[in-house]
Amino acid sequence: MLPEQIAKALITESFHSRRLVVGIFVIVNAATLTAGLLWPKAYTASTSILVDERTIIQPLMAGAAVATDALDRSKNAREVIFGRRIMDLVLEYGGWLKSKPSEEAERLTEEIKKRTVISTVGKNILRIEYRDDDPQRALRVTEKFAELFIQESIAAKAAESGAAFAFIEKQTQDYQDKLTRTEEELKELRSSNLDVRAGSEGEVTTRLNDLHRRIEAAAQELREAEIKETSLERQISGEAESTAAISREGQYRTRIGELQSKLDTLRLSYRDTHPDIVQVKQQIQDLTDGINAQRVRREQTKRSGPSEPDESVVNNPIYQQLRREQSQNQSTIEALTARIAELQRQLQNEVSRGKRMHSGDARLAELTRDYQINRDIYQDLLRRRENARVSMNMDSDHQGLTFKIQEPVSLLQSIVGPRFLHFAVGGILLGVLIPLGLLYARLQFDPRIRIGSAIAVAHKLPIATVVPHLWSRRELKGLRWELVLLTLVVLATIAASAAVSAMRFIKVL
Amino acid sequence: MSKIEKALNKAREERGNLQLVPVAGARPVPGTALVTNRVAHPETIPRMAKNEVRLLSVGDLAQRGVIQSQQGEDPAVQVFRDLRTKIVQQSQGQNAVILVTSVSQGCGSSFIAQNLGAAFAFDMGKTALLIDCNLKTPSVHKLLANASAPGLTEYFENPDLDIKEIIHPVGIARYRVITAGKRREIIEEYFTSEKMKHLMDTLRRRYQERFIIMDGPPMSKIADIRILSDLADWVLVVARYARSTNTQIANCLDAISEKKQIGIVFNEEPRFPRIR
Repeated sequence: MLPEQIAKALITESFHSRRLVVGIFVIVNAATLTAGLLWPKAYTASTSILVDERTIIQPLMAGAAVATDALDRSKNAREVIFGRRIMDLVLEYGGWLKSKPSEEAERLTEEIKKRTVISTVGKNILRIEYRDDDPQRALRVTEKFAELFIQESIAAKAAESGAAFAFIEKQTQDYQDKLTRTEEELKELRSSNLDVRAGSEGEVTTRLNDLHRRIEAAAQELREAEIKETSLERQISGEAESTAAISREGQYRTRIGELQSKLDTLRLSYRDTHPDIVQVKQQIQDLTDGINAQRVRREQTKRSGPSEPDESVVNNPIYQQLRREQSQNQSTIEALTARIAELQRQLQNEVSRGKRMHSGDARLAELTRDYQINRDIYQDLLRRRENARVSMNMDSDHQGLTFKIQEPVSLLQSIVGPRFLHFAVGGILLGVLIPLGLLYARLQFDPRIRIGSAIAVAHKLPIATVVPHLWSRRELKGLRWELVLLTLVVLATIAASAAVSAMRFIKVL
Repeated sequence: MSKIEKALNKAREERGNLQLVPVAGARPVPGTALVTNRVAHPETIPRMAKNEVRLLSVGDLAQRGVIQSQQGEDPAVQVFRDLRTKIVQQSQGQNAVILVTSVSQGCGSSFIAQNLGAAFAFDMGKTALLIDCNLKTPSVHKLLANASAPGLTEYFENPDLDIKEIIHPVGIARYRVITAGKRREIIEEYFTSEKMKHLMDTLRRRYQERFIIMDGPPMSKIADIRILSDLADWVLVVARYARSTNTQIANCLDAISEKKQIGIVFNEEPRFPRIR
């Protein structure tokens, strides 16, 4: 259905059901006027409190005293005012408990809460509004609310500061104890590990390096001496053998030479069969055999190992020199071995000392760290404790947070809540809207047809015609009277509404 | 106001004084009828003049709820004129039998039938005959001074009764009625009888300018409606504001041949009248 169709249908239907529409208009107006007359009157009293935290002392104590967080002041105020203590006092003060039994206190408290509005105006002004049907009580209760709120807030602030100071004080004591303990432990560690001091570790490392270097040098010398020893031994044995063999063979060869010369000389004079020559030849042969025997002996000596050199060898100067050197070398080896052993022992000592130092260092670092942290926290806490002490003193002297009644309790000029005029005007509006709404609902839900074009759409058959009511003269006359009457009824209703409103305004009703 | 509307209004005003002269031997063609001369007397069909009763006054007509040509500006009168024009156009110049029935009791089909007849009678070239076929709750007799004048039931029950004896003038020029007659409970047989068929044929054929309107019973008498719609050329279904439902209309339309459905008349729409 198009809006124009709905509007037209509503107008048509309003005319059709004009008596019903006017009837509902009258009933609705009567109902709203009655409701307006019976509606309890409500008076609202309000007061404003200036919550001042920027006192003269505060800038002086900037950074030392901590201001209470002012965020969402109205929420805090609501929690304070609607607290059990203040509400109980207000109930008693307002005289509710006298007239009603205390069992209803809970319900009364809830009602009072509903009628109380706490809001913030600007940053620091708190506004308390209380609505009551008794204007005097509205004033008194609002005043009491403001008074109790200020008292409670100051007390709460002082309590808060005191609690903060106590807490920080306790924390300070704890950290002081910790610091003392750490100091004692440090002292004990230092006395038990004297060599544990700053830089000890580097010294140990240097020493260890030096020892390692010296051990390596000594080992190297030892290895060299040993090689020399081996070499000397080999030389000594070789010299003995060769000296002995070469000296005897040499003697034999010299002798053979001499005999050969002699033989040559004899041959010049004698035949080979000459006894001298034969003798000489025999001698040469013996000597040759002797050489061979020496050679075999030498070979045998080589295979069977050294043997005690004989006197000739021993008397050999080279041999003697070698033996001297060998003796010296052996002394060197012994000395080096002893030195290395000593150096090894020292190295062991240094390593164990290094290990001891490491564990001591770790413990020292831990204790030092603890000590530094505890000292920092302790110093910070000391500072905070002093701040808290100042805050507490300020609160106890009412210097930190001040409340000032900005606007004394006053009763609002007009009655709040729905006023009688609202009922009167609302009645007229509802008197029009309700019948229209009902007619609209009837148009929507009543299956009986009220719009001709809807028939054509529903049955796909054109509307031949829409016939309006044919008014006879008598009907017209009756309608005229009816319309006049209905208009009078509507006007009378509006006039009655206006008259009652006026009487209410001049407080006749 | 457009030129066409002005012309229509002018023609409507003049129609009361103009005569549509039927051409002998030929059927008059609506809309193309020749306008010949002006006449002084409203009764221009001579055969009707002799048995016309005294014409009803404006007050009498208003009392009977019948429209008058003098109320040209009345929306209701204009509506009936338009409806008449629509039917004439649909009939293409022929006279027609129109059954007016309502979707339920009390929708005002009799009112529509009576005034549709009156609208036809406005036209000096046409006559209207209203037959009250609503034998259980007849209403046409109220138009007559003699309410007990013989009607349909007498015609069916009395073989000697001639048709012209049951046609009565009502005091409106060119407007005749046949009342229901005495009340009868069982009426279906009357409408299905040969006599009824004969009656309708006679009435229709006798005068070419005569438009016959049957005021039928409401749709609750569905059998009657079926029978009567067979006798009619067109059927007008009357629904009433704030009374008829779509279901009722649908049931009613189901009973009638689609070819004969000329439309739905939405009756009694509340409109603020001109109060002088």
